[in-house]
Amino acid sequence: MSDVIFQAENVVKHFGGVRAVEDVSLTVSAGSIQAVIGPNGAGKSTFFNALSGFYKCDSGKVTFKGIDITASPIHDRIGMGMGRTFQTSSVFPNLSVYDNLLIGLQSAAKLAFRFRPINPVQHKTIEEKAERLLDFVNLRASARRPVAELAHGSQRLCEIAMSLSTDPVLVMLDEPMAGLAHAETTRVVDVIRKLHSELGLTVLFVEHNMRVVLSLAQRIMVLDRGKVLAEGTPAEISANEAVRDAYIGKEVVEHV
Amino acid sequence: MRMGNRAGLITAIVLLVLLMFIPQLAPHLHLAISICTEVLLFAMAAMGVNLLVGYTGVLPFGNAAFFGLGAYGTGLTIQFWHAGFFGSLGYGVLASIIGALLIGPFLLRRRGIYFSLLFIAFGQVFYFLAYRFTDITGGEDGMNFVRPAVEGLGWQLKDESFYYAMLLFFVVVAILFWLLVRSPFGRSLVAIKENETRARYLGLNTDRFIFVAILISAAIEGLAGACYGLSIMFAYPLLLDWHQSGNIVLMTILGGTGTIFGPLLGSLIFVIGNDILSSAIPWWQIPLGALFVACVLGFPKGILGTILDAIERRRGGFAYEARDTMHGTVSSEREIQP
Repeated sequence: MSDVIFQAENVVKHFGGVRAVEDVSLTVSAGSIQAVIGPNGAGKSTFFNALSGFYKCDSGKVTFKGIDITASPIHDRIGMGMGRTFQTSSVFPNLSVYDNLLIGLQSAAKLAFRFRPINPVQHKTIEEKAERLLDFVNLRASARRPVAELAHGSQRLCEIAMSLSTDPVLVMLDEPMAGLAHAETTRVVDVIRKLHSELGLTVLFVEHNMRVVLSLAQRIMVLDRGKVLAEGTPAEISANEAVRDAYIGKEVVEHV
Repeated sequence: MRMGNRAGLITAIVLLVLLMFIPQLAPHLHLAISICTEVLLFAMAAMGVNLLVGYTGVLPFGNAAFFGLGAYGTGLTIQFWHAGFFGSLGYGVLASIIGALLIGPFLLRRRGIYFSLLFIAFGQVFYFLAYRFTDITGGEDGMNFVRPAVEGLGWQLKDESFYYAMLLFFVVVAILFWLLVRSPFGRSLVAIKENETRARYLGLNTDRFIFVAILISAAIEGLAGACYGLSIMFAYPLLLDWHQSGNIVLMTILGGTGTIFGPLLGSLIFVIGNDILSSAIPWWQIPLGALFVACVLGFPKGILGTILDAIERRRGGFAYEARDTMHGTVSSEREIQP
């Protein structure tokens, strides 16, 4: 495979006596689409939060584009090209979809700390980018509506567009299908597939929905009780006995 | 902008004209001109608080430290350095900014209720400093000083002329505030208020933004406090006290957080209420408290915020549909209110 863009080595995260993530390593190749799966409480979200800087790792090392970011603050990681979404959509609920994107766009353009208005040239660039993002997630019709008024699936799409607004090369999605209706799932799956195929981004996601995982991911890592249970291609993971026992219902695997 | 540019501008002009004729109107309303000045100055202080409560989403329950530092900075420099009118105000603002620079880094370590508690604690430090250092500050009795003449011109501002000077300050601060909350920086603050985690994951160093917001808030409140010191020619420890902080927060919330004119409305109700009702009914703070409770429970957006919402709802539905396709402006329809 191609170059390694993101790597976690022996990441450990404990909460008091709870060993949420125990010595987990992960390698993500540039341009790939990979998934982390596991039963409830396996430590998927904790692992994700440790990788994205939401939690500090107790030990271990995280590198992004070959640079050690284990102790980097979140805004530095974003500046380097990391983007992420959350299990429960993390948006600016009272702002319009457009303004939600604007915040990220002005941040990416290094204009967020500016006290004077944005000049017309920058304004135009930002506006064009916003429209491209709106089209990408197909939310143009709701651009002026407060995000809180949108359906759950649209909020999720808005969040994905927001995470794209800072020009990431690596997008991390924490359970993008969580709480979505079936029709909405299809929309979100399409957008995630486009992240990879159209925009050429590296995608790392945590997911519960096996159908989605097996159809999207090129590589899958299975976590159980904070430890790596298995790692491999979707076919390998489907065939893995330990994984079947721990997590995947046989029925599901046979259906895919 | 919630009301749209034009409605906001018209409101501002009507208000300005009204405020300009206050010295002529006040006697008919049985109001002392000094009370009208006080309304303006507390409105300015509440504006400073509003930047934090209404636009950044942190509750500054010790903000009076900045107000009091302004008053003491002015008083002390008049007393010891014989500062002039504008000079003493400048020192007042400077004292307040220095105070914010000192406590800001500590406040940033926490959010939510703990931020507010830390703010109270650090605010009280200044209260006790003023209380203890009797030789310099006069301690509990406070310190009297004389309002100095305007530098170079020798004008001795009082009553009406002082009111107009304060009105000028108020208008300048209000315009700058309006520009600030509409700037990219102001939008970033609103984003932090809405969802700080998300703001971080969009690359904002939120600590830095909140710190600068605290400094700006301190400068505004410091100016208000400095002017207040010159207005009553007196500085006393209670100006720094957390009760005072509570009053200013109350005015802000009563009027409507996140609105430009809300603090003025809150200050008007509070100061006039204090002046008129307190002489008529000794227990006037009970209805005020009831109003505050009603505000928090029933209309958390404050009086002005609730009115603006109602107006928006009446015109809203259609306007939203019409704006579905974008033609343009980067400015938000919702985020910043007039």
